[in-house]
Formats: sequence, structure tokens, C-alpha cells
Amino acid sequence: MQPQRRRITVKELLSKHGRVRSGNNNVSNVRTYSSHARSSAPLSVSLVVALFVAFSVSPSSWAGTTSTPPSIEELRGQVTALQQQAAELEEENKGLRKFLAAQEDAHMYIVVDTESNRLLLRRGNIVLHTAVCGTGSRQFIESETGTNWYFETPMGSFTVLGKERNPVWIRPDWSYVEENMPVPAENDPDRLVRGVLGKYALLLGNGYKIHGTKWTDLLGTHFTHGCISLGDDDLEVVYKSAQLGTKVYLY
Amino acid sequence: MFVMVLLSLILMGAAGGEVSYDERPSLEEQTSALRKRLASLERERDFLLFQKAMYSTDSKYLIMNFTRRTGQLKYKNRVLMDFRFKTSGKYPGRGPQPGMVVLSKKKEGKNDQHTLAFGGSFIMHWKRSDVPTKDAGMQAISLPKKDMLSIYYAMEEGALAYVIH
Repeated sequence: MQPQRRRITVKELLSKHGRVRSGNNNVSNVRTYSSHARSSAPLSVSLVVALFVAFSVSPSSWAGTTSTPPSIEELRGQVTALQQQAAELEEENKGLRKFLAAQEDAHMYIVVDTESNRLLLRRGNIVLHTAVCGTGSRQFIESETGTNWYFETPMGSFTVLGKERNPVWIRPDWSYVEENMPVPAENDPDRLVRGVLGKYALLLGNGYKIHGTKWTDLLGTHFTHGCISLGDDDLEVVYKSAQLGTKVYLY
Repeated sequence: MFVMVLLSLILMGAAGGEVSYDERPSLEEQTSALRKRLASLERERDFLLFQKAMYSTDSKYLIMNFTRRTGQLKYKNRVLMDFRFKTSGKYPGRGPQPGMVVLSKKKEGKNDQHTLAFGGSFIMHWKRSDVPTKDAGMQAISLPKKDMLSIYYAMEEGALAYVIH
């Protein structure tokens, strides 16, 4: 698209310079000028046009306007100031990156998504192992004596506090209540059950563990009493990868 | 006409004779490049400051990369979850403005069709039909159902997300 050429009538021009009264509306005989028009204007008009053009585009005419472009010296100053600002920011960012890098932990950690029942072994952005797990059933039971339990996997940041091979399950009270059985004494040997937690267990504190299960068909669902259950193969990988102190994030 | 042009040139020269036009374009170019560099460094600093701040808080947060259409759910400096998302066809642009946004509303829908609204920046869902009409003008992103539900239950209202490109 061609740019539209600006046409300036002499009347406009003279009016601008106060040579024509504003009340003069007789413009029918006024000649017009454009950059491609062949000029035959008198010298006085040419002078006025020249003055107008020169003062419109010359740097000295910028002085009186609000958008005065900077001088060369000012531009040089701007470049120097911007270079300095950039250097300062680069330095600040370097410091921040250093801080964040220092917090980076090269250790493996465990993440459990209790909504989708997924367990991940991670090291930073790298996923080392993925497993389908079982988490708390989110169900509620109440005993005849009024004691109640809500089976939910806790959320938050935990640490592997212990590692057990061939863990023994100490049946809690709710296990008897669930099966409508009388609750035995705390030290009753009937409470000790072998083989139901799989070959390994990682202890997270407050009785919560990552362990195996007999109910492998239910993995991927919310079926446990709060612990995290894994299939045998996944459990072995997780057990052998985790150390005492390994962080476990449950969300 | 010749006189006019000649006079113009003379007057222009007389008025601004001290200005070197050889150096100006180069300086302007440098200034422009430096301003862009500064803007980029400032964006990087903001993101680094955000990560530093989140390291010392106890909240989970999201990092949303709208160029790669990937996200991360993080806690301190630990990645809890990676996910991919799709942007709505209606707003296929580069997405919301880079920077920090707040999870302003969690909306529980029927049949797990939950949505998360991040201020006026974007909404997150796994099924488009549940996007409230009043939010229809915002960038909507969709995730697989499992990922969406995990994020929905992991984040509380007021939690933060950071948009990067």
C-alpha cells in the first residue's frame, strides 16, 4: 500500500504563519503543492516553504517539543548506564542461582500422589521409578465403645525413620473392630501377624509405613488403613533405593 | 524549487551541525538491545526470587511453562509431579503474562469436573464444558483427569503458580 502524500495548500501554510485571515473562505483558486507536483510558485512562497520544511525537520526545532530525542552524548550515557544495570542484574541473578543450586539435593526422594495412587522415586527432575500404590481408604469406622478411626494417608513431608525386612504387623484395635472381633489386650501375642506386610517395610513414624500387601488387585485404589502399599517388585526397588533419612513427600 | 531545497539543506545544516548522524543509529540500536536484555534479566530475576521465596515456605506451588505446555507441582525445591497440558483452541496465543499468579478459586464440579482459577490469568480443568461462562474469556488449559485431580487436591486456595514462557 502506497503511503498517502501530504498535500499542503498555500492558504494553509500562510494561515499557519498568520498571513491569511481565518475568515477568508475563498479557496477555489488556491494552488496546491505536493512533493511530486511541478512547482512554479513565486520565490516568496518557496522561501516560506523552505523555512517551514527546515524548521519542521531540523534538530533545532526539536528543542521546543516534548519528545526531544536524546543527543549523542545522552545516548552514550544511556548505553553506559544500561550496560551497568545489566551487569548488576547479571551479578544478582548469578547469586540467586548459586543460592538455589546450593539447596539442590542430589539425594533420591520418594513422592506419593495419594489422589492417583502413584509412587515415584525421583532425583530432581529425573524420575527413577514409577509404581502403582494403594493409599488410605478415606473410610470411617466406630467401635461399640464410641472410639472411631478415619483411614487416611497423612499428607506432608516425612523421613524414612527405619527399614525392616520381613516386617511383623502388630494388629491395632481397629482391625478387630472392623471384623467385629473382641479387642485383645495390648500385649496379646495374637496381635503379632507375620507375612501380611510383604518382605519389606519403610517406617515413616506414627505407625505409617510403606509396605507390601496381599491385596495386589486393589493397588491403584484407596484401600489401606493409611499406610502406602506396593506390589512385591516395586517394594523391593523402593526398599533398596531408600536410605534412613530419605525424604518422603505425600500429597 | 531548487532554491527551496537548497535553503532547506542550508538551514538544516545550520541548525544541527554538531550532531553526528553516523553514530546515532548504532547507539540507538545498542540502547534498544540493552533494554531487551534488561527486561529478560529482570524476568529471570523475578523467577529466581520466586523460587528462593518458595524454598522457605511450606506451600506447594506450580511452575507453568506455556511455551512447552508443561507444568510442575513443586514443594520447596522438590518436584512432586510433572504434567502436560493443552491450551484452548480459542486462545492459541502465547498464554498469560509471565509472572506469579494466585490460585483464586477452587470449584468442585459434578463427576470430578473440578476447575482451578488463577486470578484473571488462566483456568485449569480436565473438561472444557465445566469452565464457568464468566471465565470463558480467560486462557483455559486442560490436563488429563488424573493429573488434574491430583493438583486440585494438592493445592489450596491462595497457593501460588508461576507462569514462564
